[in-house]
Amino acid sequence: MNARLVSGLLALLIAGPLMAQAKGPPPRGQLLLPEMASLADKASESVSVTLDSQLLGFASRFLNPEDPDEAAAKKIVSSLTGIYVRKFTFDTDYAYPKADIEGIRRQLAAPGWSQIVGARSKKDQTNVDVYMLVDGGKARGLAIIASEPREFAVVNIVGSIDLEQLHELEGKFGVPEMQIESGKKPAVAPAPAAKEASKPRTP
Amino acid sequence: MKDIEESLRRAMRPVEPPQGFAERVMRALPERTAPANVVPLSIVRKTPAVAAWRRFSVPAALAASLLIAVFTGQHVATLQAEREEQAGLAASRELMQALRVTSQKLDLAYEAVQRPAPAPPAEEENRS
Repeated sequence: MNARLVSGLLALLIAGPLMAQAKGPPPRGQLLLPEMASLADKASESVSVTLDSQLLGFASRFLNPEDPDEAAAKKIVSSLTGIYVRKFTFDTDYAYPKADIEGIRRQLAAPGWSQIVGARSKKDQTNVDVYMLVDGGKARGLAIIASEPREFAVVNIVGSIDLEQLHELEGKFGVPEMQIESGKKPAVAPAPAAKEASKPRTP
Repeated sequence: MKDIEESLRRAMRPVEPPQGFAERVMRALPERTAPANVVPLSIVRKTPAVAAWRRFSVPAALAASLLIAVFTGQHVATLQAEREEQAGLAASRELMQALRVTSQKLDLAYEAVQRPAPAPPAEEENRS
């Protein structure tokens, strides 16, 4: 009888935390980013950041409010529920398998996600795609896929992304202002040269 | 042999004390005698050190356990706080790094969008 009671209590003690840890489906806006351990082995430099809502809250507690960058980060993070970054730098060109990128792109083909920037540079062989998940008129997720011959990066920000805050992020972290208006999709401005080219030439 | 017995019996026979012997003895004694210093045998007897240790061993052990528990608890709490702070600082560094990568890539997107596009081939044809 006692043995049964003890074993029952033990089972409860073990099952409790396990049940608490059991994760449901990922929140809307979160991509399933593979760990890419094989890439990390090949890469000369790798960054893998996985911060879910709990870790974000925990990390933001340790941000220094007197540091302007960290204060801005704290403000941005307050409405986010996850930040996931994978970035790999290689010593040789295209050392990363394109299948990994395609796998992520396929997730971005899901309804709700829309590509807001798709930049291809043949000169630098740089591709940058920015996607946003808009749900109920609000941005719920942001994804950036950037690939260069020797670098590959995927960023996924989950949560209520306020474009104003994104604006702040740009200003604070050395990114130039993108002139993004809140509530609107950022329009890709035509390049000045293209404008010039479209004008009729005068002798 | 019989003589010896006889002489012993004679010597040992009860003799009445002389008149006033008891009074003289009592007078010879000091009037007040100091009370006897009574010392309990347990103190006089050499008590072994183990006995004292036995007496205080349980409270001493309890006190020591309490002290050890308090100090261990404090140490564990300090270690845990230190560990938590280190983990928090590491997480905040990761967060800042993630935001930097994000801003770098947004910067890249911005640059790519703002970069002058190459002249279209139609332009070349018009020029000629």
